[in-house]
Amino acid sequence: MTGYSSRVRQDIKRWRAAGLIDARTADVLNLDVEQNERRSLSFGSILAMMAALLLAAAILVFIAANWEVIPRLVRVGALFALILGGYVGGAVLRSRDHPAIGEALFVVGAAAFGGAIALIGQMYHLSGDESSALMTWCAGTALAALLLRSSPLTVAAVAIADAWLAVTLFNGFEIFSSTEFPHLFVAIVAILFCLSYRTHSQPARHLALLSLILYAALFAADHYVAQVAVALAVVSAACFAFAVLSPRPVDRIVQLGGRLPLHGLIGFLTGVLLLQLEFSDSDVRGFAVASAVALAGIAVAIVLAGRESRGLRWIAYLGFALELFIIYAVTMQTMLGTAGFFLVAAIILGIVAVAIIRIEKRLGRLAAREAAA
Amino acid sequence: MSAKRLIAAAFAVALLQIGFLGWMIAGRAAILRDGREIVLKVEPVDPRDLLRGDYVRLTYEISRIPAKLVANVPADGTTRDQQTIVVRLTKGDDGTWHPQTAWLGSPPQVAGPDAVDIAGTIKAGSSLGDGDSDATLWPDYGTERFYLPEGEGKAIEKDMRTRPFQVKIAVSKSGQAQIKALMDGAATLFEEPLY
Repeated sequence: MTGYSSRVRQDIKRWRAAGLIDARTADVLNLDVEQNERRSLSFGSILAMMAALLLAAAILVFIAANWEVIPRLVRVGALFALILGGYVGGAVLRSRDHPAIGEALFVVGAAAFGGAIALIGQMYHLSGDESSALMTWCAGTALAALLLRSSPLTVAAVAIADAWLAVTLFNGFEIFSSTEFPHLFVAIVAILFCLSYRTHSQPARHLALLSLILYAALFAADHYVAQVAVALAVVSAACFAFAVLSPRPVDRIVQLGGRLPLHGLIGFLTGVLLLQLEFSDSDVRGFAVASAVALAGIAVAIVLAGRESRGLRWIAYLGFALELFIIYAVTMQTMLGTAGFFLVAAIILGIVAVAIIRIEKRLGRLAAREAAA
Repeated sequence: MSAKRLIAAAFAVALLQIGFLGWMIAGRAAILRDGREIVLKVEPVDPRDLLRGDYVRLTYEISRIPAKLVANVPADGTTRDQQTIVVRLTKGDDGTWHPQTAWLGSPPQVAGPDAVDIAGTIKAGSSLGDGDSDATLWPDYGTERFYLPEGEGKAIEKDMRTRPFQVKIAVSKSGQAQIKALMDGAATLFEEPLY
């Protein structure tokens, strides 16, 4: 795709020079090429990003090895050079029609920044927990994403924020450390979500929403399962409803390529699942109600939004299979042996398969009829 | 974004990040250079850090402050999360330093020439009782780790269990502590350069 867009850009330059189009038209065409090019992920750009991530991992592990043969001042200098080279080199390449390699170099620069933070911690034996180091890294990466308008760096910042959440939580289980839940995460994700508009990063918005669902699930598991799970399910269902009832206005705000319902469904199922697990060994009626709500929710999701989105259908099928399995495990598990389990698993998979085949066929027929009309 | 502006932004990002890292290094080097030197006895614990490499975890006498040493226990007898604690140390006969008094927040007067104030944080707030209970505070001073070249951690950790190790620490005027050297008895194992 990059080859095509750079060719078109050369053509536009030639047409402009030949007087075939005016300067305004040339700008509009260039902008259009640029915007559409961002949406396509070529094989080459994926490989470039993988190479950047491998290099990033190499930097971090090399620092962890604390190799004394290279003096630490040289190591610091090398990382500073990588930071400068990564960002500036990336900017030069991106402005010369190599956006994929340019973005990959940005990621290398951000990784070198994280590596340098770790190296300084090692040099001066700083025992301040990893969470503050990750927070600094996240802030630096977000700043770079903002100034360079970089989508991959925005995604990286969200991913580092996720790592921060994990480290803060699981370090938190050390004895004598604070037991406060890191609610700051919501604010960080909100800021990064806003940032993603500036950097035109749809993937970062998807990752941010999934991160929020993860956060809610962890919070529920940590503290008040019932309240948080209900809140998660209700808010997710509301998001789903808004996104399905007025898709255009909602997508104009969230700009998720019409995929907000998927997040709504994932959040809803996560919330209900937590409730089911909470009720599973204490409250039979609560469990029955939660299960019924889950199955009804899946059915409603398929009816309302299944036709438009294949992805949503598959999440619904997955949720359906999971639900059947959990309902079986909680209600029957104590009575039947292993053979019974396999039998029921076979029946569940059979039911799921029949349901999927019927729904897909029906939707296919509907689509065909619409195409004919 | 035009090419020139993009490259200028890239320079700005790189210089900001490098400047920030340089500032971190300069701050730490300043403590090593100008801070007052104290020696603490070490009680080791272990694990390993994936991001930054092998280290031994260190605890000291000052990692456990009996509530009795705290001069200004608040009226409700509890400490908050992330509260600062300042511990005043004096040199003992064995050449290592020991806690004398501690304050939550800042001390009422600066330390004399024979004493050094070291600042720590109490991660989780807890109840201290009425002041003469057996409650204990567990402050962190940011000096609880010593990073070692890969593979050397285990051997040193083993030695630490059999004989007393010490750590030389530089303390800045504000009480910030920075490890300067790891010592096996009188012999210095690792001495940290400024940079």
